[in-house]
Amino acid sequence: MPTAAPTPPEPAQAMSGDAWVPTVCMGCYNCCGIRVRREDGQVVDVEGDPLAPNSQGHLCAKGKARFLDLHNPERITTPLRRRNPHKGLGVDPQWEPIGWDEALETVTARLDKVRREDPRRLVIAHFDMPGYGISKAFGTAFGTPNFHWNRADYCGAAPHSSHLLLNGSFNAEVDFDLCNYIVLWGTQLGHIVETIPLHAAHKLADARARGCKLVVIDPFCTNAAAKADEWIPIRPGTDGALALAMLNLMLNELGLVDRPFLRACTNAPYLVRADGHYLRDEGGGKPLLWDAAAGHAVPFDTPGADPALEGEFDTPAGRCRTALQCLKTHLLQYDVEAMAHVTTVPAEVIRRLTREFCAAARIGSTIEIEGRQLPFRPAAIHFKRGSGAHKGGFHTTLAMHMLNLMVGNLDVPGGQRGVNPVGPFWNVQQDPDGMLVPAQMITKYNRPYPPSEARVPVTLDLHELFPAALFTRGLYAWGISEPEKFGIDYTPEVLLHGRTNLMMNSHAPEAMAETLRKIPFQVSFTGFIDETAEFADIILPDAHDYERWDLFPANDPYAFITPGPGEWYWLMRQPAVQAPPGVRPWTDVYLELAERLGIRDEMIAVGNTIWGIDPRHHLTPGRRYSVRDIAERQARTLIGDDFSFDRLRETACMITGPKSIEQAYPRPFFSARVPVYFEHLIRTGEQVRAVTDELGLDWDLAPYTPLLTWFPCEALEPDGDYDLLIVNFKVPFHNFSISAENPWIDELSVANPYTYHVMVGPRAAAARGLADGDRVVIESRHGRDEGTLKVTELVHPECIAIPGTFGHWARARRISGAGKSTAFNRLLPPPGLTRIDTLSGQIDTCVRVRLRKA
Amino acid sequence: MSRYAMVIDLARCNGCNACVVACKVEHNSPNGIVLTAILEAERGQYPQANRIFFPVLCNHCERPPCVPVCPSKATTVRDDGIVLVDWVKCIGCGACAQACPYDQRFYVKDNRVGFPGAGEGFTKPGTFKPPRGVVVKCDFCFHRVDEGLQPACVTVCPTDARIFGDRDEPQSRINQLIARNNAWSLLPDKGTRPCVYYVG
Repeated sequence: MPTAAPTPPEPAQAMSGDAWVPTVCMGCYNCCGIRVRREDGQVVDVEGDPLAPNSQGHLCAKGKARFLDLHNPERITTPLRRRNPHKGLGVDPQWEPIGWDEALETVTARLDKVRREDPRRLVIAHFDMPGYGISKAFGTAFGTPNFHWNRADYCGAAPHSSHLLLNGSFNAEVDFDLCNYIVLWGTQLGHIVETIPLHAAHKLADARARGCKLVVIDPFCTNAAAKADEWIPIRPGTDGALALAMLNLMLNELGLVDRPFLRACTNAPYLVRADGHYLRDEGGGKPLLWDAAAGHAVPFDTPGADPALEGEFDTPAGRCRTALQCLKTHLLQYDVEAMAHVTTVPAEVIRRLTREFCAAARIGSTIEIEGRQLPFRPAAIHFKRGSGAHKGGFHTTLAMHMLNLMVGNLDVPGGQRGVNPVGPFWNVQQDPDGMLVPAQMITKYNRPYPPSEARVPVTLDLHELFPAALFTRGLYAWGISEPEKFGIDYTPEVLLHGRTNLMMNSHAPEAMAETLRKIPFQVSFTGFIDETAEFADIILPDAHDYERWDLFPANDPYAFITPGPGEWYWLMRQPAVQAPPGVRPWTDVYLELAERLGIRDEMIAVGNTIWGIDPRHHLTPGRRYSVRDIAERQARTLIGDDFSFDRLRETACMITGPKSIEQAYPRPFFSARVPVYFEHLIRTGEQVRAVTDELGLDWDLAPYTPLLTWFPCEALEPDGDYDLLIVNFKVPFHNFSISAENPWIDELSVANPYTYHVMVGPRAAAARGLADGDRVVIESRHGRDEGTLKVTELVHPECIAIPGTFGHWARARRISGAGKSTAFNRLLPPPGLTRIDTLSGQIDTCVRVRLRKA
Repeated sequence: MSRYAMVIDLARCNGCNACVVACKVEHNSPNGIVLTAILEAERGQYPQANRIFFPVLCNHCERPPCVPVCPSKATTVRDDGIVLVDWVKCIGCGACAQACPYDQRFYVKDNRVGFPGAGEGFTKPGTFKPPRGVVVKCDFCFHRVDEGLQPACVTVCPTDARIFGDRDEPQSRINQLIARNNAWSLLPDKGTRPCVYYVG
């Protein structure tokens, strides 16, 4: 018989009795403050926490529905061992229950062997924001660089990198309070999708009510487009072409740019030599700009200089142009009429959109806030993964963002803003070239700027080949499948996996199955046996987040604390109920595995740094700690020595004080410059060329250019009868694939006209003799799925729109499956050279398909 | 005296469906039954096409056509205007559902809630669970309202698109919203005088 967990989770305060327990939602990654209702030891309801600024007592559909998952009869409460050695789609693993001790002994023995032979052969895959600190500390102590394999196909390797370069932060948002003109580009910010969703939804509804214009650019008329004053459909993968056409208009025709901002806060005036590099002070020192008053080049930080923004100048090092001049000349190729043809957005719409945006930005205006005169730019363009998940995604997202930069709206009142680039214990930095370097606390992965050195990969996500990228998590499948191709001299042996359904979230499952079969031993931490866990050798029953403590704060400030004016607030996840016997949070199991492996002290030593614990509160080697203990030390560091868990009785949200004006609107208060010209990519590209030449790799070096460029996706080329482009969009009541197994959310999806359908326009349907409600087959060159057709005017005529991440097929996950919905990701190929942005690692989700009646 | 009503601001509703789930939780709504829904409609032709989100629920009519047709007098109107079904008296004949011009009454054939294979399924403690063979509808969360709370769909809404209040309080927010925004209600020609109003 299975034994109970050896060390039950420590009880939350007042764990018994009926109560509303304040904690943090994990229905998506946003960490909204909630209150969970416990009666008779069961969770029976959940509400938004009225005291948490990110929810203010509200909740979304998935956040409200997900407590029902605790009542799912398919929940696993005992470890399982696979009896069937054959792993495959639809293959019964023939589980047998085992005890925790036996399970952990088996896992420990395998890990111990790997660690002694080559610790890099361990790969860790979780998507669990507050848990990342645990897996990273464990992985580092173990000796593997391979942690954080997860949903990068969905995530924004390109947009996050762009926000880091231009805002100095990881995520971005809009100053809804003051903005008068918002463009949402391939995203649904403010529509319960994306960053800080409850707060953003309320703020955007307020903004629209006072007359803020909303424009949405998207191939499908999403919820956001439905609420917009104007929906602009676009051919997928051409967003970069549209952005560059708009930039061309702004710079070369309209001249509507914020010239003082460009002079003082960007590298626009830096002088560029014929070879593309900055003209520098003697001895390779500071970049120079042209002082128009003095008539010669001076270091960029020369006081009193009058920097020329445009023009060519003779210097002792030859003829140089300003960076802005280089960009202006380069942009001439993005002719509006030509780009109208590429994007299918009419030229007059491109012109009007550009004029409206520039006019709304009120370049040159100021506003008084708290007695300070600040730039006022009430117009913003916001983009995310939808427009960025393409070949050349980094350039595309930077081109969209460059429209913001040109009007000077970055992190000023009314404008586009990064999520807290400056905070109470972090600040943006400036490098010797005068350029912005995001706070170390924010760039905890690879740094897009300054870039790292290109190297022969040692990590299976291949990030060493992407020195100017934030992360390349989507490429694990490539590195695991073909390590020798990249000079990696080992193969993975063990996969520790949980809370990320690689099978459904990545690409064609047959290809992912091949990848997983290359890893001989897989351990899945999960509450339910999903498609990826069906490949596991050992399953360890994981707790629901209502049953666990977490590292603190749950809401990382660079992503999930509301930017702009307000207060600094920090949320702590605490359990509302005890996990059932036999169920343990994966994070606590990692701590026990470290102990069993004899690496607990190393993990604690690494953890003290990773977890940001003040030295006065450091964890001591030789002692056993729980996740709760670690969270307590983190809270003492951040909240103060007087922190006690008693503070969590009324709310899990702790407020440490108001934001200063310098934190709320940081851009006017720091001198670091942001790039219009990406000089660093020249050298980085040369390094990547040297490494890929050494490896004999065919590689795409085209994106390593300092000037923003549009790179067409492979899928834009005609390909026989594969004559439609697939496009994916998020549904506000779903989050990835996990919500698709909730009966209440499933019911919404069945009732909704689009969620479980695939959408084409009337002409595309008629051309194939298809009608509304027909069962259809959608085939790409990489995979196929079936679906139910919805004929609609709401989709670009060249596209078939497939929402969400649906279509489960695991034995225990049948609510949304069984022909009810369609799985977009089944149609995607595994990552490969033609399918990725070699600059950011972003995976291109543009794929051609053919459509026929089933 | 109170006279409860709801205003739905269509401009603020973004179709997130949080209200639908909150209502299901609060009422132990059987699988397949929702007492409030977000209807969707398409308008226009590509690319000038658009989508409309339209929340619906029982209108708690001042002249409810569902009341006189009930043979067992199960449907009653409280003094504060909330229209309720007494499941003890309800015989499930469906006459009210036929009489309702808004299609906002639902017959409970199967009252299981939640996961298949979980027996009777989930029941929220302290709330009513409809038995089989009766008709259910929105009850303005009278059990919450009587405790001074807002209906569940109002509390949960991320954009405050639903506003609940008392028409007998002259300065109440809903009276102001109704007066200032040319509020309208559904099927005025039916003479039902709904207490659910739409603006925006």
